[in-house]
Amino acid sequence: MAEQVILPRLGQGMESGTIIRWLKSEGDEVAKGEPLYELDTDKVTQEVEADVGGVLLRILVPEGEVPVGTPVAFLGEPGEDVPEVETAPAAAPAEPAPEPVAVSAEQPQRVEERPSDVSADGRIKASPLARRIARERGIDLASLSGTGPEGRIVAEDVERAAVAGPPAARTAGPVRAGAVERVELTSLRRTVARRMTEAWAAPAFQIVMSADMTRAQALRAQLLERHPDERPTVTDVLTKVCAVALMRHREVNALYAGDAIELQPSANVGIAVATERGLIVPVIQGCEGLTVAQIASARADLVTRARDGKLQTADLEGGTFTISNLGMYGVEQFVAVLNPPQAAILAVGAIEERAVARAGELVARPMMTMTLTCDHRTIDGATAADFLRTVKEFLEEPGLTL
Amino acid sequence: MPELTYREAVRDALSRAMRADDDVFIMGEDIAEMGGSMGVTQGMLAEFGPDRVRNTPISEMAIVGAGIGAAMQGMRPVVEIMYEDFTTLAMEQIVNQAAKHRYMSGGQLRVPLTVRTQGGAGWSPGAQHAQQVEAWFVHVPGLKVVFASTPSDVRGLLWSSIYDDNTVIFFEHRTLYPLKEDVSEELEPIPLGQARVHREGEDVTVIATGRLVHEALSAAAEAEKDGVSVEVVDPRTLQPLDEETLVASVKKTNRCVVAHEAVVRGGFGAEVTAVIQHQAFDWLDAPIERVGSKFTPIPFAPVMENFVVPHADDVLDAIRRTVGRSG
Repeated sequence: MAEQVILPRLGQGMESGTIIRWLKSEGDEVAKGEPLYELDTDKVTQEVEADVGGVLLRILVPEGEVPVGTPVAFLGEPGEDVPEVETAPAAAPAEPAPEPVAVSAEQPQRVEERPSDVSADGRIKASPLARRIARERGIDLASLSGTGPEGRIVAEDVERAAVAGPPAARTAGPVRAGAVERVELTSLRRTVARRMTEAWAAPAFQIVMSADMTRAQALRAQLLERHPDERPTVTDVLTKVCAVALMRHREVNALYAGDAIELQPSANVGIAVATERGLIVPVIQGCEGLTVAQIASARADLVTRARDGKLQTADLEGGTFTISNLGMYGVEQFVAVLNPPQAAILAVGAIEERAVARAGELVARPMMTMTLTCDHRTIDGATAADFLRTVKEFLEEPGLTL
Repeated sequence: MPELTYREAVRDALSRAMRADDDVFIMGEDIAEMGGSMGVTQGMLAEFGPDRVRNTPISEMAIVGAGIGAAMQGMRPVVEIMYEDFTTLAMEQIVNQAAKHRYMSGGQLRVPLTVRTQGGAGWSPGAQHAQQVEAWFVHVPGLKVVFASTPSDVRGLLWSSIYDDNTVIFFEHRTLYPLKEDVSEELEPIPLGQARVHREGEDVTVIATGRLVHEALSAAAEAEKDGVSVEVVDPRTLQPLDEETLVASVKKTNRCVVAHEAVVRGGFGAEVTAVIQHQAFDWLDAPIERVGSKFTPIPFAPVMENFVVPHADDVLDAIRRTVGRSG
């Protein structure tokens, strides 16, 4: 009997997925575990593998978005009849979705595993030991592929993921001299590589400015006193400052749509968050209308949920601009890779005391260097410089944002 | 170091206890002149005389009942039930009398009785003489249950059973009687409730009893050729059970196979499986596999008997399932 191929739930919060393309044609012989089609979810594009082997009898959903659990194809014996199934109305082929994963060039990339065999009800088959190790190390089982009997995720699969990730890498023992650890490229890794390579193909340029953070820090100290619960950070001040600057330079608050540039009505600022599962960019919506305390509160909530793996699709969508801050690692300045289709991404370094000249005198000031990476298809150098100068001025004199 | 067969080791433990202690005596069908149908008590009549090596009528209920009476009067009797299949005829005495008196008398009475019996397939004894029924007795509070698998174990455990103040049902396996092992000059008692790790390993623990200990050791040697490291543990005492050793082993290897000759359904392995899954749940990387006889009376025909009871290759298959990879 022909087996339905069901659109799997590949992670928590996933309601639907967009089929990008089929890797097999009708009539093709498919082995169990062979990639069948490419699926775009809110987080990533990945190849979905066949749960069973057979001949791809019929593709029900050639492309487009369908809900989780929808039959998308039939696998079976050659010449087998396919039951009539009401094909789910597929939405129009998805536009290249805004990629919420911003990856900066310097950020160490973690290696993702392929998604596990997930049953139609979304339950992940994993051994108790695998579950315990994953729980202890904060690894999302949905991101792993099971190599045990019937695709069960076993301890070794989790161990492999843990070794591949940066937290484990930091604690890993010394590698024997000459030993090469070969980590196979996973589907997600390939996707990240493809997307970032595509982003790299965009004509990007960078401009760099440093801001004197004396007043921004003073403002932050005042805010901290007034909002002890929200505990605003300098990054929150920067987020607010960028939002106001974006509203004044709407050509930077833009998405490149291939045949048009879409100026966005609101500054939805994505914040790059490093989690054990990897870099993720939750979005704070409408920052221009929020106070710094509100931004701090939204940011804290998003970061917590990002680290707990509890972000919803909505948390990752709608970004118009991205801030990536590696200052806490002591990075002085760095260049971020574009987060298409956004026009620009701001890479922020550490605030550090530097000798600067003021009225002919050398003085020590808390300085912060910002590098704006821009998509030249969307904005020009002068536009970018105008915007970055505004950000710098706002940081140096926050009153100007009024 | 003397080498003893399993049969000689049983005899050695009985003889030493009888030399050391006048309260110890043995009773059973044909155990005196004939030396027992398995030859275990050969020569003992000559040494200890007919008062202490007593033939009985063919009545298992009477044998155990007499043993209980003597035990309650302060003796340490060791009675023999020729085949464990025949314990059915002594069930009332074992389950409702021997197991209950200490409890019902509030500790005023004790029943330090040892019921030796043997059984098992492998030599075509037929459906009524080949069963493995140890699980029945593990289910009864008030009994201790021992199943020894090697000469040194059978000797040390029988000694401890004789000197335990509770009734011990002591299982021997028919096919193990010729098995040889070097044993110490002095008899070293083995405490009841202490498992033996026969072989250390890293990848999977096989918890086996009786004949299956040896099948498991063969399977382990075979698995090693595939790079699978197998730990083999024999609980030796089924009640009380050395849960600590079993659980520790599985926590180390993360996988478990339980193996005995008795049928799988409702077997002692079910109890072990429950203990392991409960105490080592978060350490398990594969479902616990059970190995045992197929759910049928043991056939008489050797080829069919061989098919029904488990062997090393069945244990090996189970080991491979626990470490299996779908590719």
